[in-house]
Amino acid sequence: MFDLSDLQGNVLRGYKDKPYVRYLILEIADRVVARRWLAAAISGRDHDVPQITSGDWGKAKPRTCFNIGLTYEGLRALGTPGSSLAMFPNEFIEGITARALKLGDVGASAPDTWPSPFNEPKRIHLIATIYAENVAQLDQVQQRALDRNALTLLGMREGNNFDGDFVHFGYRDNIMQPRFEGIHDPERHADGQPLAPLGTVLLGHPTNLEGLQWRVPQPTQLGHNGTFNAFRVLKQDVVGFENYLDQAASDLLTHPKVDEVLPPGGELKVCEVFEIEPPSRHAALREVVAAYLCGRWRDGTPLALSADMPDANVDRAKFDYDESSRCPYGAHIRRCNPRGGHIVQRVANNSRRLVRRGVPYGPAYKRDKSGDAGKTEPERGLLGNFIGASLGAQFEAMSCDWLNLGLQDPRITGSNDPITGTNDPATSWFDLPLKSGGTIRLRGLPEFVSTRGGAYTFLPSLSAIRYLGSLTA
Amino acid sequence: MPDNEGLMDRFVDRLPETAFFKFVAARILTPLWAWWTPVKPLPGGPHPSFQHGDNVQCMMNLIMPLKDKSPVGRAHAAMAISQHKDAIFAGLNNVGTVHFARFVIVGDNICMFSVYDGDFTNYIRDFIATIGEVFDAVVGLVEGGEKVIPCDKNVEAFIQWVHERDLYQVPDTPTDFLRDQERLNGDKAVAPVNDDLTLLPRKMVLQLRANANVSLGSGYRAYPGYSVAQVRKQLGLGW
Repeated sequence: MFDLSDLQGNVLRGYKDKPYVRYLILEIADRVVARRWLAAAISGRDHDVPQITSGDWGKAKPRTCFNIGLTYEGLRALGTPGSSLAMFPNEFIEGITARALKLGDVGASAPDTWPSPFNEPKRIHLIATIYAENVAQLDQVQQRALDRNALTLLGMREGNNFDGDFVHFGYRDNIMQPRFEGIHDPERHADGQPLAPLGTVLLGHPTNLEGLQWRVPQPTQLGHNGTFNAFRVLKQDVVGFENYLDQAASDLLTHPKVDEVLPPGGELKVCEVFEIEPPSRHAALREVVAAYLCGRWRDGTPLALSADMPDANVDRAKFDYDESSRCPYGAHIRRCNPRGGHIVQRVANNSRRLVRRGVPYGPAYKRDKSGDAGKTEPERGLLGNFIGASLGAQFEAMSCDWLNLGLQDPRITGSNDPITGTNDPATSWFDLPLKSGGTIRLRGLPEFVSTRGGAYTFLPSLSAIRYLGSLTA
Repeated sequence: MPDNEGLMDRFVDRLPETAFFKFVAARILTPLWAWWTPVKPLPGGPHPSFQHGDNVQCMMNLIMPLKDKSPVGRAHAAMAISQHKDAIFAGLNNVGTVHFARFVIVGDNICMFSVYDGDFTNYIRDFIATIGEVFDAVVGLVEGGEKVIPCDKNVEAFIQWVHERDLYQVPDTPTDFLRDQERLNGDKAVAPVNDDLTLLPRKMVLQLRANANVSLGSGYRAYPGYSVAQVRKQLGLGW
C-alpha cells in the first residue's frame, strides 16, 4: 500500500468531521522567514506554527487540520530555482486568470471583475486552508499561522458544511470521489468505475492515459507526490436558480409530453420525498427539472438509476451511462464525468477525473414562497477545490470541452453546462430526454454560477515542503 | 503647412511602388526596424475564444523542418507517413474530434494540416495517448524533435513543441492583428500612428519577418459551427 504520510491530508481525505473551513490568501512577506515558517510547519515540534496535516495522522486524529498550496508566484517568491520553476506546466505558470477563456470565466465571471484579493493575482503566493470543528478553532489556528510575520494576509474566504451534506441549490453533495489504485480506502464502496491510477492525482505515478506521464518538476523531492489544485470561489445565484425552476415547471405543465417526465400521480411521491406541502404537480415538476439539470435528484438519487422518482434505496454511487440511460447527456454530473458512457473522445473516458473538495459559503437558503423580490440576499456560493495531477489534462480539459462546449456528445454540442456553465438566457438550451426517444427543450437558462476568484496552486508533498523550507539562495 | 503635408502624403503614398523603395524597404528599412523595435513572433493556432462556433473546426497548420534537407530526407519523411498511415488514421478516428488531416511535404518541411474540434492541447494529448509511437517516428526526422520524444514521456514539452510549430493565424482584419500584437506586448494603448491601416502596417511587416510562414484569415467553412460528431451523426456514420 502507498505511504500516505508524505502527502498533505486534504489530497485524499475529506476531513468530514471538520465542517468549518477557512482559506487564508497570503503573500510571502519575507523569503527567509517564510522558509523557516515552512520548515517549522512540518517539524512536528514547533507547535507555535500550525503543523501541516499529512495523509497519515496515525492514531491521534488532529483537532484541526491545516494544509497549504503555493502558486507559481509563491514558488518564485520562496526562491525556487529557475530550472525547477521551468518544469512546471504552462497552465500553472500562467495562472488561472490567464486561462479565463478556457474556463468560461467571461462576462460576470471575468477575472478583471474579481474582488480583492483576487484582483491582484500576482500577489497571491500561498493559500492556507484551516479545517476545524468551530470558528474559535479557525481563529486560533489563523493567529498562529500569521504570528511570525512570514506571511501577509491579503484576504480570506470561509464556509461551513451544511447538515446532511447539502449545498446551495439544495443538492446533496459529497457522494462521490475517485478511488485510487494502491490506496486503502475503507470508507468508500465500489462505484462501478475503474480504480483511478495514482497518477490521476499525484505526480510521478502512472496516469489513466496509457503510457503517458506528466512532467515531475525536479528535484524529485519537490515534484514527486505533488499535485495541483484549481481553487475557485463560485458564487451561486440561489434565488435565480429557484426562480428558473418555477419558470421551467410552469412551461412543462402545459407541454403535451409532460407525462413522460412526470407520470400522472407521480407528484405525490416526489412531494413526499422532498416534504413539499401541499403536494402539487408544479412543485414536483420543479424537482424534476432540478434533477434533470444535475443528473441527480436533489436528494442525491442518480437519474441513471431512477429517472421517474427519487429513491433512497438505490446506490447513489454505483451506476453507469448507456444509450438507454434516462440521465440527460448534458446533465451536470454526466458532463463532468461521463463514466463509461459513449463519448466522442474515445480515449478520454475516465481520464479527466478530479478530487473535489468543496464547502458552501453564505447562509443556507430558505425559500420564501411569498416571494423574494426586493430582498437583498447575502452572497452565497461554493469554495471549491478541483485537484488533479494535470490541470491541463483534467480540470481545464473538462471545463473547456465538456462543461462549456459539450464536445463529448453531438446531441449537446453548442450548449453549456446547465448549472455551472457560462449561460446566456438568449441562447442557452437544455434537452430533457423522454422515454419515447424525443426530447423537451428548456431554454432561457441564465448563468447560475459565476466565478468570483481563484488561483491555481501546487499542493506540495511534505518532502517538497521540507525542500522549500531548506532553500538558501 | 497643410498643403505641404498633403504633398508629402502623396509622395509617401507613391513610394512603395518604386523599385528603389522596395529595395530599401526589404534590405535596409525592415532589418533596421526589426533591430530598433524587436517583434516577438505571435503564437500559433486559433485565437482563444469562448464562442462555441470558434471552438469547432479549428485549424492546425504544422510546419516541421526536416533534419535531412535532401531528396533522401524528404523520401524518409514520405516513407514514415506511408508506413504508419493505417495507425495514423485509426488514431485520428479514436481521437474523435478531427475533421480532416493531411500530411504534405513543402520544400524541406513535413507539414500536417488538420481541422479539429475543441481545445488544441486536448487534441494533441489524446493523439499522443492513441498513437504516440507514430508521432515519435515522424518527429524523429524533424529538427529539434529528438528533445521531445518519446512523446508519451514528454507530454507537456511535446504539446508545447507542436504549438510552437503551428502557424500563426493572421486575423481577417488588420485591426485584430494589431490587437494580437498589442496583447503579446502587454500593451493596452491603441495602435500608434505608424500603424496606419491604409498602408502596410509596420508591425505586420515585422511580424511576417519574425513569422515567415503564416495562415491567412480564418478560412472557408462549408458548414460552420458543427463538430465532427454532429456531422457524422447527421449522416448516419456513427460517432
